[in-house]
Amino acid sequence: MRLFSLLLFSLSLLWVSTAKAEPSEGVVDRVYHPYILPFERELEWRFMSRQNDEGNELLQRIAFGHALSETVIAKFYAVGSRDEQHDDFGLEGYEFEVRWMMTEQGKYWADFGTLFEVEKFHNEKRWEVTTGLVMEKEFGPTSLTVNTLFVYEWGDVPDQELKTQLRMKYRYRWMPLLQPAVELYTGDDFIGIGPAFMGIQRFDSRRQLKWELGFIAAVDSVTKDHTFRFSLEYEF
Amino acid sequence: MLRLLLSACLIVISLDVLAARPEVVVRLKDHLFHPAKVYVPANKKVKLIIINDDDDPEEFDSFALNREKVIFGQSKANLFIGPLAPGTYPFFGQYHPTTAQGEVIVLSPGEEVADVD
Repeated sequence: MRLFSLLLFSLSLLWVSTAKAEPSEGVVDRVYHPYILPFERELEWRFMSRQNDEGNELLQRIAFGHALSETVIAKFYAVGSRDEQHDDFGLEGYEFEVRWMMTEQGKYWADFGTLFEVEKFHNEKRWEVTTGLVMEKEFGPTSLTVNTLFVYEWGDVPDQELKTQLRMKYRYRWMPLLQPAVELYTGDDFIGIGPAFMGIQRFDSRRQLKWELGFIAAVDSVTKDHTFRFSLEYEF
Repeated sequence: MLRLLLSACLIVISLDVLAARPEVVVRLKDHLFHPAKVYVPANKKVKLIIINDDDDPEEFDSFALNREKVIFGQSKANLFIGPLAPGTYPFFGQYHPTTAQGEVIVLSPGEEVADVD
């Protein structure tokens, strides 16, 4: 019954997500987990390369994050991308992100958190706000993570409208260093699915490295459209 | 439609909260867990109440249980685990991993505790 409710809920979100689809970019990024630890400090490097008929889109993020309390973490990103006109790599924008762990892990039927992030594009009068619900549910040695996100862009943009995204990850917690998963991303006229892997390496009591890697291919397109994503997160 | 689904999820969460849960108290003193072996029933959600008698904080960490939780010095924290299949699930204190070690032993229905720590 509970599994059925979850599937029904996810499918409804998928419908909401695809119903307002508009062609755009940047749907494949990362599936957020709702958990936060006090004292958490981290440096992150995120890499994303998307290949389709229009060429190659390259995006990198470098971030510093710091827990503000037992349930809230703030992160600041510098975002770099390849310039389409000059084909050189440069600063695209800055991003500020806050995540709030709303429920204690394991206390309820599922664990919930919220995400809020605002991005200012470099040298442009263009802003983007993303917010939404982050959920995770355990099924024995596996975990299902669902992100339902609302994205609003304004300023020098052709269309100012609310867009929706759905990101899902189904992960098998095989061993700390290697956890295989399947990821699904929808939104902006895109539905992509593919394998992903992640892991964690501890160095000592306070330092650890988390890694994620994924290869997401569009399933709703007859032409080539796939994304390779990779991230490293150093916690100290 | 979305409102109806959200309401259904809230009802499921509420029923989950109302269900009776076994509770187990674990103390942390001199960077050691007492008891180091925690026995819990299978297929039930269990509340672990961890009391940290040390001045230093400790991080309860277990990949098998899929839990990470910081317990500040001279304070207590609640940790919810399960429902779990019968078996042994190790845990440790991430800040003192050589001393702070223990395991959750999930008993099958009808199974007795073999030894007490």
